[in-house]
Amino acid sequence: MKRILAAAAATLLAVSATACGGGDDGSGGKTKVVFSYWGNDSRQKLTEAAIAEFEKKNPEIDVEGDFSDWDSYYEKLATKTAAGEAPDVMSIEIRGLAEFANRGILADTAGKVDTAGLDQEVLKAGQVDGTQFAIPTGVNAFPMIVNEKTLEEHGQKLPDDKTWTWDDYIATAQKVTEESGGEIWGTEYNENPAFLQIFAAQRGEQFYAGGKVALTEQTIKDWWALLQKIIDSKAGPGAAEMLETGTKVDQALLATNKSAFGSWWSNQLDALTKGSGQELSLLRMPKSPGATGSGMFLQPAMYYTISAKSEEAAAAQRFVDFLVNDPAAGAILLSDRGLPTNSAVVTAIKDKLSPADQKVLAFMDSIKSDLSPIVVPPKGAMEMEDILKRATDSVLFGKAKPDEAAKTFLTEANNALSP
Amino acid sequence: MTLRPAAAGPATETAEPPVTSSRVETGDRPPGRRKKSSRARAQAWTAYLFLAPWFLGLFAITLGPMIASLYLSFTDYSLLSEAQWVGLDNYDTMFTADDRYLNSLKVTTVYVVVSVPLQLAFALGLALALDKGLRGLSFYRSMFYLPSLLGGSVAISILWRKIFGTDGIVNTFLGWFGYEGQGWVTSPDTALWTLIILHVWTFGAPMVIFLAGLRQIPQNLYEAARVDGAGRIRQFRSITLPLLTPIIFFNAVLEVIKSFQSFTQSFVVSGGTGGPVDSTLFYTLYLYLKGFKNYEMGYAAAMAWVLLLIIGALTAVNFLMSRFWVFYGDDK
Repeated sequence: MKRILAAAAATLLAVSATACGGGDDGSGGKTKVVFSYWGNDSRQKLTEAAIAEFEKKNPEIDVEGDFSDWDSYYEKLATKTAAGEAPDVMSIEIRGLAEFANRGILADTAGKVDTAGLDQEVLKAGQVDGTQFAIPTGVNAFPMIVNEKTLEEHGQKLPDDKTWTWDDYIATAQKVTEESGGEIWGTEYNENPAFLQIFAAQRGEQFYAGGKVALTEQTIKDWWALLQKIIDSKAGPGAAEMLETGTKVDQALLATNKSAFGSWWSNQLDALTKGSGQELSLLRMPKSPGATGSGMFLQPAMYYTISAKSEEAAAAQRFVDFLVNDPAAGAILLSDRGLPTNSAVVTAIKDKLSPADQKVLAFMDSIKSDLSPIVVPPKGAMEMEDILKRATDSVLFGKAKPDEAAKTFLTEANNALSP
Repeated sequence: MTLRPAAAGPATETAEPPVTSSRVETGDRPPGRRKKSSRARAQAWTAYLFLAPWFLGLFAITLGPMIASLYLSFTDYSLLSEAQWVGLDNYDTMFTADDRYLNSLKVTTVYVVVSVPLQLAFALGLALALDKGLRGLSFYRSMFYLPSLLGGSVAISILWRKIFGTDGIVNTFLGWFGYEGQGWVTSPDTALWTLIILHVWTFGAPMVIFLAGLRQIPQNLYEAARVDGAGRIRQFRSITLPLLTPIIFFNAVLEVIKSFQSFTQSFVVSGGTGGPVDSTLFYTLYLYLKGFKNYEMGYAAAMAWVLLLIIGALTAVNFLMSRFWVFYGDDK
C-alpha cells in the first residue's frame, strides 16, 4: 500500500514539477527533451556527462535526465504513459519492448535515426513485427565467469571452454568446494531465463516461437536436474542460501570471492572484477553432450526508444543519434549500457575501455561465429523471470515434483503471454 | 446478554417521544422556526466553508479515485492502453482460475489468524506488567512502543532479513546450542513465520491502549476482591479481563484490519516477489504485482474491492461475535 501511495505521491510531485517547469522558466526558449533511464549512481553520473556533451554540441536543445532505480522504473514509466506524459526518449529493455511497442506508445525510428553503422543482426532485435521501434544501446552476452586464481589455489585447471560439458563444470566446481573445506563454493548459479535459453538453444530449442514459450517439458526438467545436481554435489550452495545472496551484482559470490564460477551478464564483469579485486575471465557456457551449438547469444543490454507522442521528435531523434553514433558519447558511456555495436565508436573508445571490458570485447569477437539468433520476447514476457523463478524454486525447495512444476510453468508462462 | 434485548426495548420507546414533540413544536410556532433555521443555514454555510478543504480532499483524493477504481475493476486496463469493459470477468477469474490469488488469500489469512491473537496476548501481558506502578514507567512504555513505530518500515524489514539470514543473529544464537540453523527468510516453510514474529513484535500500539484501559478499572473492585480472599489469578479472571473486553475488542478489530492490509514487510523481506515459492505473498503484495508489474490494473482494482468486502465482512463478524463476549458496564 505504501508503495502505491509513494508512486501516487511521486506522480503528483512530478505533475506539479512539470507544472512549475513548463513555459517560460530557465530553459530560455530551448527545445526540451526528457530522457528516462534506470540504473545506479555511476550510470547517472555518466549519463549526465553525456547529456552535457550533447547540450554543448546542440545548444538549442535542453535534455532533462529522468532517473530512477530499476525496481520502480517500469512502474513510473507506465504511470506517466497512462497520464499522457511519456518521456520523449525512454530506455526500455528487451522484455518490456513488445509491451510498449504495439500500443502506439513508441515511434517508428526507421529512417529517423542513423543506424547504418550499427551491428545489423543486433539491430533486428529492436524490431517488433518488422517495425524498428527501438535502437539497441549495446550488447551483452551471458557467459560463464571464472576466477582463475581461485581455481588454481584449489588445484584445478582452467577447462577448455570449447569442449567442456556441464558435467565437467560441476565436477570442477565440486572439487573446489571440497579442496577449500567448505570455505568457498565451486560455483554460484541463478534462475535467469537467459541461462535456460542457452541450455535450450544447445538442443536446438528456442525459448519463444510464434508468441508462445517453445521449450519442451523435458528441457525444463533437465535444466532443473542440472541445478539440482549443483546443489546435491555441493558444487554450489543450497537454494535458500543462493536466494539470500540475491541477484545484485555487488553481493555476487564471485564479487566477494566466495566462488570460483558464476554466470552473469557480460557488462557486469567490470563490477564483479572491482568487487573481487582479482582477475576474472569469461568462458563459453558448458555444453550438453551432442549439443548442436554453443547456445550463446548477444542481446541488446537495453534500447533507446522515442515516444510516439513526443512534441519534440526531431530533437529526440538527434539525441538518440548522438548516443549511439557519436564517439564523443561512446567515450563517456563506454560499456555501461552494453558494448556499443557501432564499429566507429568501438574503434574510437577501445583504448579507454577498462581491462575487463576489453576482455568482453575480445570474448564477443571470439564467439561471433557460433551465436544463436535473438528473439524479441512477446508481450507479457516481463513476467517470465518471476514465473520461471517460482517454478524453479518450487522444485529446488522440494515443494513440487519436476513433472508438475514443468507443466505449471508452461501453463502460467503461456497464460502471461496470451493477449 | 439476555438482558440486552430487554434493555434495548425501552430505549427505542423513549426515543419516540422527542420526535413527536418536535413535530408538534413546528406545527405550533412556524415563524420562529423559520427564523431560527435561516440563522442556522447561514451558520451551516460558514461551517461548510471551513470544511471545504476537507470536502475537496474527500472528493478529489478519496471518493473520485474510489469510483474510478470501481469502474476499472470491471475492465481490462493495462495502464498503457485504454480500458476495455469486461463485466465481471476479473471477479470471476479471481475465484475460479487464479491459484496464486487463492494462495495469497490463504497466506494472508494464516498471517492474520496467527499473528493478531499472539500480538494482543503479548501486548496485554506487557501492559499488565507495566501497570504495576513501575518506576520509570514512561520510559519503558516508550521503549516498548518503539517497535510499533518502526515495525512497518523498510529499515526494519531489511534488518529482519539480516536477523533471520543464514549468518544472522538467530542462527548464531542457535549455534551456541549446537543447532545448525538455516536461512529462515529464504525457506518457504519458515519465511511467513518470520513475518508473523515481526508483526507480534510491533505490539506497542495495542499495549498503550491496554495500559489506558487498565487505568480505567476502579481500584475498589480489587480491594473488595482481596477482602473476599481472591488471589491474583482470580482477580485477573473476574475483574481485569471482563472489564477489559471492550478494549480487547477494539484492539482486535483494528489489528485485523491493519494486518490484512500489511504490505511493506513482505515486500521488503521477500525482495518484492512474495517468495520463496509464494510463501509470503500477501494479498496487497499480489495486488501490487498485478497492477504495477503485470500491468493488469483492472484486475488489481477488482482485488482491492474484494479486499474491502472481506475486511468489511470480517469486521461485521467481529461486531456480531462481540455480543457474546464483550462486557460493557451497563449490562450489569
